[in-house]
Amino acid sequence: MKQLDTELSKQFTLSDYVEQRPELAFVTVEKQQLVPLLTYLRDTKKYTHLVTLTAVDWLEVNQFQLTYLLHNYETHTDIGIRVKLDRDNPVMETIHHLWEQARVYQRELHEMFGIDFPGSPGVEEPMILEGWQGPPVMRRDFDTAKYSLETYDHRKRDTREPEIYMKEKLYPED
Amino acid sequence: MKLKDILSPFYVWKRAFEKPYSINTLTELRPGSPTYRGFHKNDVSKCIGCGSCAEICQNITIDMVPVSETKDGDSGLRPRFDYGLCCWCALCVDICPTGSLTMSNAYTWVEEGLDKDVRETYCFTPGVDEKHWENEELGYHRPDEYELLHLNRLPMPHLPTEERITSFIEMVKGYSREQAVKEADRCIQCGICTATCPAHMNIPAYIKAIREDNIEEGLRIMYETNPLPGVCGRVCTRRCEDVCALSHRGEAISIRWLKRYLSDSVEGEKYNQILASEIKPQNKTVAIIGAGPGGLSAAYYLLKMGYSVEIFEQNKAAGGMLRYGIPEYRLPYDAMDKDINYIVSLGAKLHYNTKVGKDISFDELHARFDSVFISTGLFEASKLAIEGETLPGVLYGLNFLEDVTHGKIPELGKKVLVIGGGNVAMDAARTARRLGADVVVIYRRREIDMPADHEEIEEGYEENIEFHFQAIPMKIEQTADNRLEFIWGNAEMKQLEEGKRPVPVMIEGSRESIIADTIISAVGQSTNYHWMEGEAIANIKFGKWTIEADRWGKSSDPKVFVGGDIFNRVADAISAIADGHRSARAIDSFLQSQTE
Amino acid sequence: MSDKYPPIVNGKSVYDLESGKYLKMWQGPQHPGVTGNMSLELIISGDQIVDCKTHVGYLHRGFEKLMERRRYINCFPIVCRICVPEPDTNEYLFAAAMEDLMGIEVPERAKWLRTLNMELSRLASFLMWIGGQSGAFGHGTVAQWALAHRDFVLDLFEEWTGARIYHMYTTPGGVRGGTPEGWDNHVERVLQGVEKFLTEVNHVMFNNAVFKSRAVGLGIIAPDMIDRFGVVGPVARGSGIVRDTRKDNPYLIYDQLDFNIETETAGDVYARAMVRWKEMHQAISLIRQIIKRMPRTGPLHITLPNVLHLKVPAGETYVRAESTRGEYGYYMVSDGTIYPRKITVRGPSYSHAMALLEHLAVGVNIADTHGLMLSLHTYPPEIER
Repeated sequence: MKQLDTELSKQFTLSDYVEQRPELAFVTVEKQQLVPLLTYLRDTKKYTHLVTLTAVDWLEVNQFQLTYLLHNYETHTDIGIRVKLDRDNPVMETIHHLWEQARVYQRELHEMFGIDFPGSPGVEEPMILEGWQGPPVMRRDFDTAKYSLETYDHRKRDTREPEIYMKEKLYPED
Repeated sequence: MKLKDILSPFYVWKRAFEKPYSINTLTELRPGSPTYRGFHKNDVSKCIGCGSCAEICQNITIDMVPVSETKDGDSGLRPRFDYGLCCWCALCVDICPTGSLTMSNAYTWVEEGLDKDVRETYCFTPGVDEKHWENEELGYHRPDEYELLHLNRLPMPHLPTEERITSFIEMVKGYSREQAVKEADRCIQCGICTATCPAHMNIPAYIKAIREDNIEEGLRIMYETNPLPGVCGRVCTRRCEDVCALSHRGEAISIRWLKRYLSDSVEGEKYNQILASEIKPQNKTVAIIGAGPGGLSAAYYLLKMGYSVEIFEQNKAAGGMLRYGIPEYRLPYDAMDKDINYIVSLGAKLHYNTKVGKDISFDELHARFDSVFISTGLFEASKLAIEGETLPGVLYGLNFLEDVTHGKIPELGKKVLVIGGGNVAMDAARTARRLGADVVVIYRRREIDMPADHEEIEEGYEENIEFHFQAIPMKIEQTADNRLEFIWGNAEMKQLEEGKRPVPVMIEGSRESIIADTIISAVGQSTNYHWMEGEAIANIKFGKWTIEADRWGKSSDPKVFVGGDIFNRVADAISAIADGHRSARAIDSFLQSQTE
Repeated sequence: MSDKYPPIVNGKSVYDLESGKYLKMWQGPQHPGVTGNMSLELIISGDQIVDCKTHVGYLHRGFEKLMERRRYINCFPIVCRICVPEPDTNEYLFAAAMEDLMGIEVPERAKWLRTLNMELSRLASFLMWIGGQSGAFGHGTVAQWALAHRDFVLDLFEEWTGARIYHMYTTPGGVRGGTPEGWDNHVERVLQGVEKFLTEVNHVMFNNAVFKSRAVGLGIIAPDMIDRFGVVGPVARGSGIVRDTRKDNPYLIYDQLDFNIETETAGDVYARAMVRWKEMHQAISLIRQIIKRMPRTGPLHITLPNVLHLKVPAGETYVRAESTRGEYGYYMVSDGTIYPRKITVRGPSYSHAMALLEHLAVGVNIADTHGLMLSLHTYPPEIER
């Protein structure tokens, strides 16, 4: 895998190479170079299978990480390509022309993270959360537990911490 | 279309003559499999209400609710399950440290006439609310090969026995960072230990600090309730470990060694900086009689509250029984001095070699100071009360240990007998062993009755100390060659009173003897109040052994407070420290009320 | 026929419902022919589909979000619920991803038991599928037999793991217990029943004129579509693609077992059904091999550091396994805290039921949509997680 990284580095600006297992590596690429890199990997390096496309929210550094995971059926190796997006303006080029199913992934990311993929067919249609008005739910600053407690009527919890309860019961004065 | 494809499906017509697969579940209830994860059961006699089940539940199914029946080391809470939320993963059963929580193979619960909120309907406290599956044997139990908890503690490195018996170097080496973090990781943070600790130290919090490698925070947490953590980290009687949730199926967390690790990990010079707090000076003074753990603890908290503190100590150094009772190999002087020096550095004024009643009168203290805290400790050894006790070569454990501390090593000879089964007896025996003698310990009751720390007994065996149990001392005689003959009778244990511990009763006509060079008696300690004279004691009420006081140590004279071994019946360092802390707060509120 | 179809602009069909030429029809989310809770928005002309859109979200429980707010051990009871008929793949992959990040190797015996668990659940999942596939073409009887046999397999799970549907057996660090005494004989009895059933299925379904006439030639997936649509598993193997994660990237103890990759070449519904029928025999053979050869003694589980405050080292990983629908994967990102940063579940149904089905459905008779959908063997919960 290291060899592939070296080879790719000649043409693309890559960083943060991590080899998790002999057959699995991750690498970060510049945003502008992603589509050329994926096309190159698919057409020349036989990474023909788009395994998944997903996003990770790094709220602390105000970034979204997109991970494009590709698989090579001949060498049975995987490479994960990371792209960092500005969280305030998350826009990424679409890859639906490379893989048909990518438009579904992109539609989901648009709905769940608010990442836009201009040109991806139906990217703005709601997929899972039809009628949802709030912020994109998979963003880390959306607190689902808080939302649920505020929105729905739950049974009131009636629990105690042993340590605090024992203090109240056994030695309230100390 | 082939003819075969039309005929082939008729092959299965024979099915019409076979027995159907379906079973009638309306008339015959199908029981769950023997390991089925059905409704919960809880053996409440084993449950300690530690709340681990509620902690691991991913779906807030479990609420901890109070019950009326509790026992020692039991929070008095029991898990209540909400089957509207339960996902039957049984992690609660797997994590249960006592093994009280299991599951039955029952899976039907029919409720009729629903007139209450459905969210409250399928909730119950297993073992408390009666259900038809309560005595069901079958159902999920944690499989033997599968365990979520680390039940065994990390072994503490010790000096090898050969090295131990020839020196007074501290025998317990202490945990390394890696070991401490690993041991701290075992903790489930239930907090049951906190209630049992006399000082109510926030044990889970400082263990968490160790786990997160936040030593300074850990030190601060310890000092909130205990200003002698380096001492307690070595010699605490650690009743917290007796109730540790993990001790029910495995070994308790090494709470004492973890405390020691925290204290050892910070250099003494840094204490001032780490524990710095804003001190508001108060224009009041407090006298403390006795610089043992009780007095030092009171001094620390009073100093932090801004009072001026003077401590009167009859010996030439502070520490009391910690210094003069506990041998160096268990509690090295530099470790103790680290704790004491920090207290002194806060501004405590220590008067060494000053015995109240002789060098300064109690009257004077009472008049000069706004409040007096008495923690003199049990400094008198109890008598054996047998013939020959006054012969030369018969020593008392307390005096013997004190002499060793002072560097006055008595001539013990080759063979030493130690009479008694408490910690002082063990300290005396093991000290004598280190001085080169062969040691025999003689105790009235059985081994399991020994009040000494079981670890010390074990280590005594390792150091080749001999034990004779159920031996009642009769007399001591001097032999012709100036040695001592100790004569005892064998006893049998009899249950004389229901509910009390059995008593040793001498077997008629039994007589055994052993020849030794020195006999050390360590059968108990007491105190006296002869030093308290004068007008100042007029308002103080004395009990049979003690000064009468409320739980805050406040005597009938509002100015005078007591604490430590002379006040609590437990007589260990941590109880004295707790007394000191408690009395410091009582003294504070008394002095505040004086100002107003 | 070509004027039947509306023009496509920007990847979307443009049709005028007012023209009277097209009719919009919904199938699902509550429809006996639709797998699970999803719905198809069909535009039909006559009885032929001219445009299809899949709608999901009826089973959305937000697992990926829930897992970001739970300790690792608390994710363990959740993951199995991502796929109801075959939960064990999820359990294994969640555990495997964690173990990979932590650098843990599970005991040998646990590996065998995990494999056995996955193969048994493969059988249960295929039995569920065969019920649906036959039912979709009107063979209700086969469906009932299939589900009866599936229940016998679930009985085995109940006896072994303590639960029928969500077994929660593969825990991070190993498995939760050994097999009970006498269980092997029960397995053999059930397997013989399933084998007999499969013979009958061969007669009554695969050699049935009705089934053949409907399934042959329906929903053909050409080999060139495989990578373009991300097609995996039996669906790909039905088009002659020789790929199987168990062989290509062996995990657990699959490299010690004796089996071949089963394929068909036609690429239609019939071929995919045939592949699955063969794989059921394969699963039976694998279960027998495992039961015969697996170690009966030895550790089952290694105790992780205290699970109540377990931190997984920072990093990211992807693990995969072959489920009944094809490659199933977990992408796990840890930031070194007690909570996972992100877990993405890659369910094979994701690409099959959305992009691929929408493509394949065009031109199909509405009566055949269910059969087509079932032939892709989709489970909606793994789409919406």
